Amino acid sequence: MTTTRQGYVEELEELEKRALGGLDLVTETLTRTLEAIEHSDVELAEMVIADDDRIDGRYLEVHQSILTLLATQQPVATDLRLISALLHVMKSIERMGDQCVNIAKVIPLAGNEPPRDEEMITDIVTMGQQAKSLVAQAKTGFATRDVELSRDLVRQDDVIDNLNRRCFARAIEIGDDVDDREWGITMMLVARALERIGDNAVDIGEQTAFVVTGLFREFEDASHPGPAVG
Amino acid sequence: MIETTANPEAPARREGEQPAPDTDHVDEPQRTARGWGAGKAAAAAKRVDLRGVNLFYGDFHAVADVDMTIEPNKVTALIGSSGCGKTTVLRSINRMHELTPGARAAGEIEIDGENIYAPGVDPVVVRRLVGMVFQNPNPFPTMSIYENAAAGLALNSAKLSKSELDEVVERSLRGAHLWDEVKDRLDKQGSGLSGGQQQRLCIARAIAVEPEVLLMDEPCSALDPVATLAIEDLLQELKATYTIAIVTHNMQQASRASDHTAFFNLERSGDPGRLIEIGETTKIFSNPDKQATEDYVSGRFG
Repeated sequence: MTTTRQGYVEELEELEKRALGGLDLVTETLTRTLEAIEHSDVELAEMVIADDDRIDGRYLEVHQSILTLLATQQPVATDLRLISALLHVMKSIERMGDQCVNIAKVIPLAGNEPPRDEEMITDIVTMGQQAKSLVAQAKTGFATRDVELSRDLVRQDDVIDNLNRRCFARAIEIGDDVDDREWGITMMLVARALERIGDNAVDIGEQTAFVVTGLFREFEDASHPGPAVG
Repeated sequence: MIETTANPEAPARREGEQPAPDTDHVDEPQRTARGWGAGKAAAAAKRVDLRGVNLFYGDFHAVADVDMTIEPNKVTALIGSSGCGKTTVLRSINRMHELTPGARAAGEIEIDGENIYAPGVDPVVVRRLVGMVFQNPNPFPTMSIYENAAAGLALNSAKLSKSELDEVVERSLRGAHLWDEVKDRLDKQGSGLSGGQQQRLCIARAIAVEPEVLLMDEPCSALDPVATLAIEDLLQELKATYTIAIVTHNMQQASRASDHTAFFNLERSGDPGRLIEIGETTKIFSNPDKQATEDYVSGRFG
């Protein structure tokens, strides 16, 4: 058996590379975002906001390539699942970029003074590091079609979810001072954005499983909590 | 298992040719002692079961061990690369396969539980109840549009009155979505129509005799895209009345127009063709079970 449609096969591989490359852009942005949080660096935060155009641009580029492939090559079966999955993956990447922007926008609100609660900052930075690790794991899982590695994202995401709950508890306990409370609520927004990035990474893992198995199932159903589905 | 060789009494016909309207079978459709096809008031879609079907051309084993069901009121597409046996399978369903000298069929093909290869079954009766539309539109060239639509009746039925015949011709042409285009020139030659119209005329001729099953062998491969889509739309209407099996090389056609898809393949040249996978068309084109099916529908088969 010889392989036909070599050009199409290469186009499809390139498309996947460009889409997953969007996750590297997210990693870069996330690194800067965490640095901006840690050092209350408003300038760096502004760079994060400006740089989101790169991720949005990648989204548009991959989206256009997908439309062209669909219109000209009529992909079916695994190819079609891959393309459908890449659309979802790209959307998740675009959302992750937007979450970094959301964080960057609230950094100036937290002010230039030292943090009101060191432990909460430590938790948030840990959440961010964990989110970066999830992004990398989601990329590897997709690129190698590793369903087990993708499913493990749920366990890794639990770390972020637990830290998020702890941040929430600390924000409540932060005291009566109005400025402290404002800072605490602002940091809750940051924690919430990082928690969403973790969820987006899990979404990418679900797409990996869809490409491999042909069945779409949420790893965890937020509206029907329970043990992770099959 | 019943073995059937070419019926020595069957008039020799060239491959792909419709029976000429000059045979002895001009009286009531023949019925077998087992009542096959008897008591049929109107056409009703029938289920076709193939069991252990093996097809031969002389010593050449063309198709091996096909087990499949063609569901009533559905369009079933037979796909696969050239030489995989899909057309041979199609032609075995109305016993046209055995018209090729030396060709032979083994196994069972049942239409609603009645084996069409059972001893005593007249292949001509089978062919009346299982109509065939061919790749190249083949209206009888010297006949008018009207005569073409009525050709199968002249062959198969007792003499109808002129008004009865008019009725059947109009119904068939309407059924094939051709009536409005030809109603004012029914006495003109069928060969003067466009390719797409000629093919619809052939479909009208096939459904005039109210078959139970309609077989189509690449009915659109000689047609332009507009005529092709017209035939595909027609399939969706015809399946309300008939069981339809269609051989096509056009993968988009199979995915657009069929409910079930059967993929045939042969491992290497000289091997018999085999049924690899049959299933809902949506499944075959989105998540087939077999890698060979995936390779074929993705166009990665060289």
